[in-house]
Amino acid sequence: MTRVPRVRDLCAAAVDAATAAGAEYADARVVMKRNQFVATKNGRVERLSDSESEGIGVRVLLGGAWGFACDSRLSADRARDAALRACTFARAAPGKHLRELAPMRPASGTYRTPFERDPFQVPLAEKVAQCLEADEAMAGPDILVRQAMVRAQREHKLLLTSEGTEVEQELIECGAGIECAAAHDGIFQMRSYPSAQIGSSCQTGWEYVDGLNLIGEAPRVAEQAAALVRANECPSGVMTVVLDAEQVAAQVHESVGHPTELDRVYGTEASYAGTSFLKPDDLGSLRYGSKLMNITADPTTPGGLGSFAFDDEGVPAERMPVVEAGLLTGFLTSRETAARIGAGKGGSMRAEGWNRMPLVRMTNLHLEPGEGTLEDLLADVDEGVYMETNRSWSIDDKRLNFQFGTQIAWEIKDGKLGRMLRDATYTGITPHFWGSLDAVAGRDSWRLYGSTICGKGQPGQGAHVSHGAAPARFRNVQVGVRS
Amino acid sequence: MNALDVARAALDTAVGEAEAVAHIEHSGLARFAGSEVHQPTLIENAMVTLRVVHDKRLGVATTNKIDAAGLSELARRAADAAASAPPDESFPGLAPPASPPAVEGFDDGTAALGPDDQARLAAAAIDAGGDVPVYGFFTSALSELAVMSTTGLSVHQRMTDATALVVAADENGSGYAEQTAWRANSVDPAGVAREAAEKAQRTRGAAEIEPGVYPAVLEPYAFADLLDYFSHDSFGALGVLDKRSYFTDRLGQKVFDEKISISDDALDPRGLPKAFDFEGTPKRPVQLVEEGVARGVVWDRATAARAGDGAESTGHAPPAELRDWGPLPSALSVLPGDAETVDELAELVGDGLYITRLHYLGVVHPREGIITGMTRDGTFRIRDGKVAEPLVNLRFTIAVPDFLCDVFGLTNKAALVNSQNFYGERYPYGVMAPAIASERFPVTGVGSKPGI
Repeated sequence: MTRVPRVRDLCAAAVDAATAAGAEYADARVVMKRNQFVATKNGRVERLSDSESEGIGVRVLLGGAWGFACDSRLSADRARDAALRACTFARAAPGKHLRELAPMRPASGTYRTPFERDPFQVPLAEKVAQCLEADEAMAGPDILVRQAMVRAQREHKLLLTSEGTEVEQELIECGAGIECAAAHDGIFQMRSYPSAQIGSSCQTGWEYVDGLNLIGEAPRVAEQAAALVRANECPSGVMTVVLDAEQVAAQVHESVGHPTELDRVYGTEASYAGTSFLKPDDLGSLRYGSKLMNITADPTTPGGLGSFAFDDEGVPAERMPVVEAGLLTGFLTSRETAARIGAGKGGSMRAEGWNRMPLVRMTNLHLEPGEGTLEDLLADVDEGVYMETNRSWSIDDKRLNFQFGTQIAWEIKDGKLGRMLRDATYTGITPHFWGSLDAVAGRDSWRLYGSTICGKGQPGQGAHVSHGAAPARFRNVQVGVRS
Repeated sequence: MNALDVARAALDTAVGEAEAVAHIEHSGLARFAGSEVHQPTLIENAMVTLRVVHDKRLGVATTNKIDAAGLSELARRAADAAASAPPDESFPGLAPPASPPAVEGFDDGTAALGPDDQARLAAAAIDAGGDVPVYGFFTSALSELAVMSTTGLSVHQRMTDATALVVAADENGSGYAEQTAWRANSVDPAGVAREAAEKAQRTRGAAEIEPGVYPAVLEPYAFADLLDYFSHDSFGALGVLDKRSYFTDRLGQKVFDEKISISDDALDPRGLPKAFDFEGTPKRPVQLVEEGVARGVVWDRATAARAGDGAESTGHAPPAELRDWGPLPSALSVLPGDAETVDELAELVGDGLYITRLHYLGVVHPREGIITGMTRDGTFRIRDGKVAEPLVNLRFTIAVPDFLCDVFGLTNKAALVNSQNFYGERYPYGVMAPAIASERFPVTGVGSKPGI
């Protein structure tokens, strides 16, 4: 990682200007981000883009009120001006403003994502060829749309605070995915790999994309899409459901990750993403699920999109249990919310970029593995459904009532997979659903999925998060919700 | 520099055929929770996207480094991208020179609002909430869009927008309201907060109901959200070409109740007017549904070229980073009906549901137009033609075409409902929707009580 002295000076100028203007706390973040994205569709390059963005964001606490201002122009004058505008906004902000921050020792250090192959050294022509080859390998009867994509991101950021924290990090991400759509006789179906919603990503080098073997997986994906348009519809009823690791990851994200964000618990996301069914007093006492449910927040996970050495408040990364043996034992916190609840020290504050305030966000949130294999989970099911790969999702503002759909399913009969089924959905209430968890497959079946489409905040911010999960079995689930 | 200057400077660095799209944002958003501002954000940014075409090979690069060195680097990266791409024989070429229609949508007073003003207008909402804590924001912005290309195209628009949005909520109830406009003085933050607080007071003691299909009145907030989600797959040409749209093989057929007419009209001064799209093509009003008959979808240059048969861009190309979604409506407008008030719609329903707002919609099946989600911040029973007791939040799983097939009526006024959650660069858009009463609103589950 190349240190950028000029950038450090800009941050210092901003922080000094803010404190001179009366801020009791200030931080300045310079973020320089570059993204490459290649997408093909039906043998044609649909998108080949290379974007970059840089700027400085200055956050101040003045009279107990937050202010935030940013500027894309990296000059000392603009940095100071952003600091003063942030102070103006804080001064004008209505409210009682009794905010405190959990204490922390000033942090310093640098961090860089470990990788073998720098994705920005991989020729764009090679990326295009990878996509086109995978795209071509999905061609087949009834396949209408074939899509492949690869992406890379480099985010270089420096944070400097009025408390003496100074940290610099360079985070590298790569991702890829394929998807195809089939149609027959008015039935439309899609199939994706390695996950839905523009593939999966990992914080590492291009070796991740090479290891996904998109081209090798493409024929299976196409065959399943073509088979789905002739498959039977998933039946309705209350039954046992086994979910693949990818859908379990989606379930963890929506029904555990978001409700354990402590800013939601305190209501600060009420006007957009919603609140939480959890209350601060639930910590240590609320039964979230069965004793097989163990959830961990871990920003140190190798390859996790939510991995870092320091969050965007400079708090060092630390692995932390959130649910232990079914009991709620942790919230995802900022320094402000940690001080308010009197527990934790922050460590989950992340901003999409230089032009957004950090918010409490998931880092990497995992369902810890259990024992056995997917086959072991199926073996103990007389009648049920096995569902694979998320297709749709929705959950209420308190993160209680959810409904998911998957791309593909199979009936389970006498412990074995039977007919393929289409349009599978299931619904439930969060603690009741997790209470019905009666098996999680073991470490060998545990996979890490990286999503780049988590939204929150006003103005909106996207976050990149990872979830590790293994296939899991749930009893007495309502399956097959139809309009 | 204004957006046209930025686009020109970027274009000057390019070699050969090229198009530059510059997008500038000056915005402030005073977000509040528990009746105090907690996330105030001021943004200053200028982005420029350069698309170069070398022997039918296309490359796109974007930057916000708009000095000479940054733009030179932008041109190099765009050229590298083009050099790495195979020729695209289906590329229809860059848009020709155009004279976009004159539109409203810029207000000096709104453009001049600063952080003190944004905080003051947020305070007006907070003060008007009264005893009920309020959560939401006031925001205003000046944004600029310019498209310039080597074909001689040169178009530029300055836009303003302002929104006040309030959820009024305590442990026992919640209500919602919002207003959006391109003139900030058309937005009344205190009025928005009063509407939300009054609604919240009425949601206390919410009861459950059994799942089933109910007649329902949807306020404009709820109807706009439902239509916006339905439109992503169904009202764009790419959805039809890829056969995931409900309109696939149905254009020209009667698909909805004859009371339903829907257009996309970015020129309407009541909305958030736009003169051209992200390819620089002038916006055209598009009739999507006319008296229940599917009439059309929106197009960009790529989908029009793919379809052939005389198809033309209607001025609906999205930004370059969303181009693979295809053309999307951004100014949906539903023709109002005859009902003077929502109370008249409740009378038409007789026995059913009254729904203020929806939450976290998900497309279950695009081709069938099936969407699931929850109601939120003001769900009530309608009994004997009157809005009656409050209900808990309800899960619905609805085939939008079924919902629009048996329509009792619509109110005679449409409201502009903001549809942008301000992700990415600021490009305000919304849906003009009246309230609607329909015979079919399928409730598939019950959720929690309204409130924090």
